[in-house]
Amino acid sequence: MKKVLQVTLGILTAIGGFVDIGDLVANAEAGARFRMNLAWVVLVGVIGIVVYAEMAGRVAAVSQRPVFELVRERLGPQAGLVNLVASFFINFLTLTAEIAGVAIAISLVASVHYGLLLPLCGVLVWLVIWRMPFEWMERVFGLAGLALAVFVVTVWKVGPDWGSLFDAAASPHVPAGESPFSYAYFGIALFGAAMTPYEVFFFSSGAVEERWTRRDLALNRANVYVGFPLGGLLSLALMASAHLVLAPRGVSVDDLAQVALPVAVVVGKLGLAAVLVGIFAATFGAALETGLSAGYSVSQYLGWQWGKYVRPREASRFHLVVVLAILGATLFALSGVDPVKVTEYSIVLSAAALPLTYFPILVIANDPDYMGDRTNGRLLNAIGFVYLVVLVVVSAATIPLMIITRGGS
Amino acid sequence: MAGRVLYAGLQLLDRQLVDRTGRLCGKVDDLELSEPGADGNRHIAALLSGPGALLGRTGHRRLGDWLRRFVAGAFPDGEDPVRIPFTRVAEIGNHVTLDMDSEDAASFASERWVRDHVIGHVPGSRVLADQ
Repeated sequence: MKKVLQVTLGILTAIGGFVDIGDLVANAEAGARFRMNLAWVVLVGVIGIVVYAEMAGRVAAVSQRPVFELVRERLGPQAGLVNLVASFFINFLTLTAEIAGVAIAISLVASVHYGLLLPLCGVLVWLVIWRMPFEWMERVFGLAGLALAVFVVTVWKVGPDWGSLFDAAASPHVPAGESPFSYAYFGIALFGAAMTPYEVFFFSSGAVEERWTRRDLALNRANVYVGFPLGGLLSLALMASAHLVLAPRGVSVDDLAQVALPVAVVVGKLGLAAVLVGIFAATFGAALETGLSAGYSVSQYLGWQWGKYVRPREASRFHLVVVLAILGATLFALSGVDPVKVTEYSIVLSAAALPLTYFPILVIANDPDYMGDRTNGRLLNAIGFVYLVVLVVVSAATIPLMIITRGGS
Repeated sequence: MAGRVLYAGLQLLDRQLVDRTGRLCGKVDDLELSEPGADGNRHIAALLSGPGALLGRTGHRRLGDWLRRFVAGAFPDGEDPVRIPFTRVAEIGNHVTLDMDSEDAASFASERWVRDHVIGHVPGSRVLADQ
């Protein structure tokens, strides 16, 4: 059992990264609009995050240096600052959407307008960060997020022709009536969602919080190989359930309640309960991940003491950044912004900032100063390099596509 | 440490400073070089740490100077940048370990201020969340 619980860092990171509010909506929307034609992007994204999260976790375990320290160390103060500002902004948008997502999840049960629940949710997120031990955070929210596996049950209960489902996913094309630009835009959104930078900030900082050392390299691999593919599987199930249930009925997805619709239709009340628990846990987990990442990135850039492994008063500036980020995000959500739009922009923009985060990881994972004999092998470097090229192309294409498609509409 | 050749730009600048108890305490934001010796070489005299030093290095010297004056005014015990004589450096690896306590080290004044005026007043700030 203890062994099973040790992979919860990977599971929480992946649940927060793959099936948080933005991905819930993006995957369901992609399934309803593009059927299974974008499934391959999820697969490409999973491989990419597995490759880079493994490197980031290995660097953290061997050298105790988390990702944003590497960013500053390799990009220097100027480019590092550009990355800090961009990541912090994206992270802030995501945090806003997650806090709103938690409130929406509760409001679906409590029949209170979600706006009224926002302050409560902001306080809850902060309280958990302030008081709950790091490992418990992982276990409670990572494992409860697995309730989203009900989407797998949904797909299985619909009993699709598996052969044609795989064929549809394996021979992607732009569906009739959709422009190639919006197809590409949604592809980038899914890719950006799979590889959001806060996942590696959180994962590598979490490895330091849990005091991983060289001896934990197998644990690092287990976390990465279990957590992220699981997150990818859930997001594919989400996409497939929308493709099977919503698309034939001509339903399009534009809010969180519709994401749960296929489960409610196919599995019934018990399924709906599981979805609500899963959505609550996933958005709450992602709020923790992004709230902490706000503190991690700023502190690691400036060299401040950070983390939950010391008493809060010994990492005062870190905790101050976290509190201010949560407060600001709650106020921003209260201003009435559409949380779904906010996440859509945040995942697309994160695609634009990806190379600045992943390049330093690749360089340091090859530096014997940091890694000793645990540097990357040739194959890993080849894959890492190919992904870096993809990341650069994607980041260059993002903003133009956003303008051409007017945000995917 | 004497005589070790380092590529200071690559192996020293922007690295994490860690105090003797393992606490994180700033970055190597800039370096102070000695006057050229008999052999004409300059040596590293001190590490400089703090936002003022960082801004000076990235070419925002005026902003850096302003920040330095601000820190000196706002935090009576504050000093920016903090100058750490090279003799207080215990070890250079993927981070730089200092032979001193973080309380005396780099850019600690703002940490102390936030601790004493904000975070220290919140219930539970003295309790470790772990276990």
